Amino acid sequence: MVTHALERELKRGSAELLILALLEDRQRHGYEIGRLIADRSEGAINFHVASLYPTLYRLEDRGLIEGRWVEKSGQRRRRYYRVTRKGREVLARQRSIWDKFFIALDRVARIRHA
Amino acid sequence: MHWHARIRVAFGPMTPDADIIEELAQHAGATYAARRADGASEAEAIARVDEQIAEWTTDPSVFHRRPRRPAAVVPPGPASRAIGLVQDVKYAARLLRRQPAYAAVVIVTMALGIAATTVLGSVAYGVLLKPLPWADAPRLVRLYETRQGATGRFQPMMTNASYLAWRQPAPTTLDAIGAWSGRNATVTGLGEPRQLKVAGVTPGLFEMLGTAPAIGRTFATGEEDPGQPSAVIISRGFWQEQFGGRADILGQRVRLDGTSCTIVGVMPSSFAFPDRETRAWQPLYIRPVTQSGKPGTYISMFQAVGRLREGVTPAQAAAEGTARGRSGPTLGPVGVAVFGSNGPVEVSALPMLEALTGKVRDAILIMLGAVILLLVTATANVASLQLARATTRRREYAIRAALGAARGRLFRQSLIENAVLGLLGGLVALVLATWMHRVLPSVLPANFPRLDDLSFDLRMQALAVLLSVGAGLAFGLLPALNATRRNVVPALVEDSLAPVGGSLRSPLARARALIMAGQVAIACVLLVGGLLLLRSFTGLMNAPLGYQPANLLTARIILPDSDFTPEQRLPILEQTAARLRGTAGVAAVAYATLLPFTPGTVLSSFPLRKRDGSTLQIQTGTRAISAGYFAALGQRLADGREFTSEDSATAQPVIIVNREFSRKYLDGRALDWTIPGQTERAPRRIIGVVEDTVRQNVIDTPAPEIFFPATQQPLWDSDENVIVRTTTDPRALVSLVRSIVREAAPGASIESIQTMEDLVTGSLAQPRLYAVLLGTFAVFAVAIAAVGLFGVLSYSVAQRAREIGVRAALGAAPHDLVALVVGQCVRIAGAGILTGLIASAWLSRSVATLLYGITPHDVTTFTIVAAVLLSVAALAAFVPARRAASVDPVRVLRG
Repeated sequence: MVTHALERELKRGSAELLILALLEDRQRHGYEIGRLIADRSEGAINFHVASLYPTLYRLEDRGLIEGRWVEKSGQRRRRYYRVTRKGREVLARQRSIWDKFFIALDRVARIRHA
Repeated sequence: MHWHARIRVAFGPMTPDADIIEELAQHAGATYAARRADGASEAEAIARVDEQIAEWTTDPSVFHRRPRRPAAVVPPGPASRAIGLVQDVKYAARLLRRQPAYAAVVIVTMALGIAATTVLGSVAYGVLLKPLPWADAPRLVRLYETRQGATGRFQPMMTNASYLAWRQPAPTTLDAIGAWSGRNATVTGLGEPRQLKVAGVTPGLFEMLGTAPAIGRTFATGEEDPGQPSAVIISRGFWQEQFGGRADILGQRVRLDGTSCTIVGVMPSSFAFPDRETRAWQPLYIRPVTQSGKPGTYISMFQAVGRLREGVTPAQAAAEGTARGRSGPTLGPVGVAVFGSNGPVEVSALPMLEALTGKVRDAILIMLGAVILLLVTATANVASLQLARATTRRREYAIRAALGAARGRLFRQSLIENAVLGLLGGLVALVLATWMHRVLPSVLPANFPRLDDLSFDLRMQALAVLLSVGAGLAFGLLPALNATRRNVVPALVEDSLAPVGGSLRSPLARARALIMAGQVAIACVLLVGGLLLLRSFTGLMNAPLGYQPANLLTARIILPDSDFTPEQRLPILEQTAARLRGTAGVAAVAYATLLPFTPGTVLSSFPLRKRDGSTLQIQTGTRAISAGYFAALGQRLADGREFTSEDSATAQPVIIVNREFSRKYLDGRALDWTIPGQTERAPRRIIGVVEDTVRQNVIDTPAPEIFFPATQQPLWDSDENVIVRTTTDPRALVSLVRSIVREAAPGASIESIQTMEDLVTGSLAQPRLYAVLLGTFAVFAVAIAAVGLFGVLSYSVAQRAREIGVRAALGAAPHDLVALVVGQCVRIAGAGILTGLIASAWLSRSVATLLYGITPHDVTTFTIVAAVLLSVAALAAFVPARRAASVDPVRVLRG
C-alpha cells in the first residue's frame, strides 16, 4: 500500500515534470504531448493516455500551463498548451529536486539514470 | 468518423463539457489516423480508439476543468465599500476615456451652463444682496425731493430749502442727515492741468458712513462755513499718483479750480463714495435760501442721505421730510425752472442699496432666471444623452447583474459615473467662471452699479461645485434608476430593435421625448425674451434722434471759472472753430454749451406772455449756440432761420425755440413772438423754430428748449462743446482737434473727444448688453435643443429600423418614411413650442421694464420664434429622416 502510494506519487510527479519539460520550448497539443512522452521514454515510463488529460487539466487549474484553442488555416482548431511563468518556476524547482534525488540514488546504489 | 458522439456515449451521464469532448475527439481522431498510417485496418484502428476511450471513461470525474477566469466584476463584500468606490471611480474614468467625444460634449455643456450660472449668481449677489460697505448700511436711505405736478426733467435730488428745514430742528426719524455733491474740478500746479472728480460732503458724512481716514482727519463741524480755510481730503490713489505716497502729505497744498486747498486727510483705498472715480472730498456748505443782508434767494441742489433711527421705516422718514419741506421757504420761479411746478414739496426715502441698484435689479434677475433655464436645459440634454446611452448599455448592466453585481452597486456605479462627469464639468466651469469674472468689468457698462463689489469669492466657487455635483446627480438619476430596475433576462435576450410600432413605447424613449419637448419649450422662452430685447434694442438704435449723428465729432472742453471769465470764453471758441473750418475733411464747425448725449441740463423759468394774452411761468431748457449750429448738427429747421454772424452782441436780441416749446406754450405759432429779456435787455424775438431732438436718452420725450446765440449771452458755464461735421471718418481728426484746442486755450482741459455715434451707442450700453446676453443664452438653448432633437430622432430611427424595414417591404415610399420621422419630430417640437409660447406669454411680462417701443406680447416676435424653432426642428429631423428613407428592408429584416 505504501509502495503503491509512493509509486503513484512518483509517477504523478514525473508525469507533471515531463509535461512541463515538453512545453518548455514550444506550445503543443494533447496528442503530441502523449506521443512525445511515449516516444522519448521508450515505454520506460508507463504513462497511460487515460491520465494525460486529467494531468493537463490539473496543471492548468494550478496555473502552471495555459491551454487555448488555436485555429490554423486548413486544420481543425486544436487546443494548444504552453507553460506559464509560474510553470517555469515549478519546473526549475522540480528539476533540482530530481537532480538531487538521482545523485543520492547514484551514491547509494550506483544506479545512473538515463 | 464522428468521435464526439462515440465519446459522449461512452461517458454516459458523466459527460464532461463540450470543450473537453472536442479535445478528446481530436485525440481519438489523431490516434485513428496514426494507426491507419501504420498499416492497421479500419476495424483495428477503431478498436484501438475504443480502447483509449474506455481508458478515459474509467474515471470520468477527473475530466473537468475549472472556469479559468473570474467574473469581470467581483461583487464587493461589506468590508470593501471604500475599495468598491475607488473601483467605481476608476471604472467611470475608463468608460469616459473610451468615449472622449461623448465626455467632451457633456463636460463642455455642463461647464458652460455652470460657469454662466455662477457668474450671474455672483453678479446678483454682489450687486443686489451683498451689504454695502458702510456702517449700519441697511439703515441708510437716499432722500429725494420733488414737487406735485413736476415734469421730471431734473434728476431727483434735494434742495437747500427742504434739507435745511429738515436738519434744524433735529429730525425725529433720522439720527443723522448728510449731503454731497459731485463735480469735476480742474487740478492745477501738479503738472498738466487735469480734471478730477471731487465730491463736496457735509462734515459728519464720513462719520455717518462709519469710515475713518487712513491718514489725518475728517472735516470738523463748521469747517464748511464760508470764510474758513479750504480743506481737502484726498483718496489713497491720488496720494500715490500725485504725491508718490510721501509721508508728510498733511498740510500740503493742491489747487482745485484755482483755489488753494490744504490736504487734511487721506482716505483708505476701500473708500469709494459716492463712486470709485471720486478722488477728493471738500466740505460742502449748504447755504440758506435767504440770508439777512443779502438780497434775493439762493437755491442749491445736491444728493442727500439719512440714517434711520432704530425701528423707523423709510416711509415714516419720507413723511417727516415732506412735512418739514413744506414748512420751508418756497422757491418761486427757480422751483418752476427745476421741477416744472411750484406744487407742494414731496420727499421720498429709498433704502441705499435699492437706490443704487434699482435700475439694474430687474435685468439681473431676468438674466439669472434665463441662465438657470439654460443650465436646466443643458442638464436635461446630458440626461437625455445619458438615457440614450443607458439603453445601449443595458446589456452591460444586465450581464453585470447576472454575474452577481448587487442592485445598489449598479445604482452607485451609475451615479458615480455621472458625478465624475459633473465634477469634471464643474472644474472646467470654475476655470471658465474665473476668466469670465476677469473680463466682466470690461463687458459691463461703466455706469453699472457696484462693479467693485463683484468678486468671485469662495461662496461662488462653492456654488459652482455644488451646482456641478447637483447637476451630475440630477442627470445621473434617471439612467441610474433605469440601471437598477433592469430585469436581467429580457435585456440579455432581446435584440436592440424596438418592436413594430414602438416609436415611443418604451418608458426610456418616452422620457427622452418629454425631456426634448421641455428643452424646446425652454429654448422658446429664452428666444422670445432674447428677440424681444433685440427688437427693442434695434428700435432704440433706429429711433429718430432729430439730427444726424454720423460723421460728427464732439469735443467737450472745460474752461474753468478760475482761469476764464464768461467774456473770455467766446473768443476762444470762435478761434478754435475758425481754425477747424480751414482744415481738410471738415464740412462744418459749431459750438454749444450743451449737446445731446453729453451730461448736464440747464433749466430756466420766466413768465411768458401767451398768445391769448395770459401770462404763464414756464419751464424750459436753455443753451447758447454758435451760428451754423443746427446745420452742423443736422437738426432741421421747421420755420424761420438759423443764427448767423449778423446776430452779434449789438444786434437785435434773437432766440430760436424748438417745436415742443412752440406747441406747448405758443399754440404752434412761435415765429416772431417775443420773450422777455433776461435783465435790462430788450425782449428777444423768436426768429426760428427747430425740430425736437432727444437729450440724454433716445427715448426722451420732447421737452421745451430755447437756444440763444452765444454772441448775445455771457457764457457762464465752464463746460463748452465743439462739434465738427466731417466728410470722412471723424476719428481721423481727433488728434488735430486736440492740438487746435490746446493752442487756442492753453488753460483748458479737454474732457473728451468722441464721435456722436459713440455717444449715442454708449447711452445704449445697458439695453445692448441685456439683448446680447439674453440673445446668447437663447442661441445656446436653441443649439442644445437642436442637438438633443437630432439625437432623439436619430436614435429613434435606429431603434425603429425593423418597423421602417417592414413598412418599406410592404411598399412604403421614401417620402412616407420621411414623413414618419418628421411627424415624430413635429409632435415633440410642436408640444415644446406650444408650451414655450404659453410660458413666454406669462414670463415675458417680467422683461416689460426693459422694453422700448414693443409690447411683451408682440405677435411678430412670437411668430418668428415659433417659425425659427420649427425650422430648427425640421433641420434636426433632416438627417435622421434621410437615414430612415434609405433603410434597406432586406438587411434589417434578416438582421
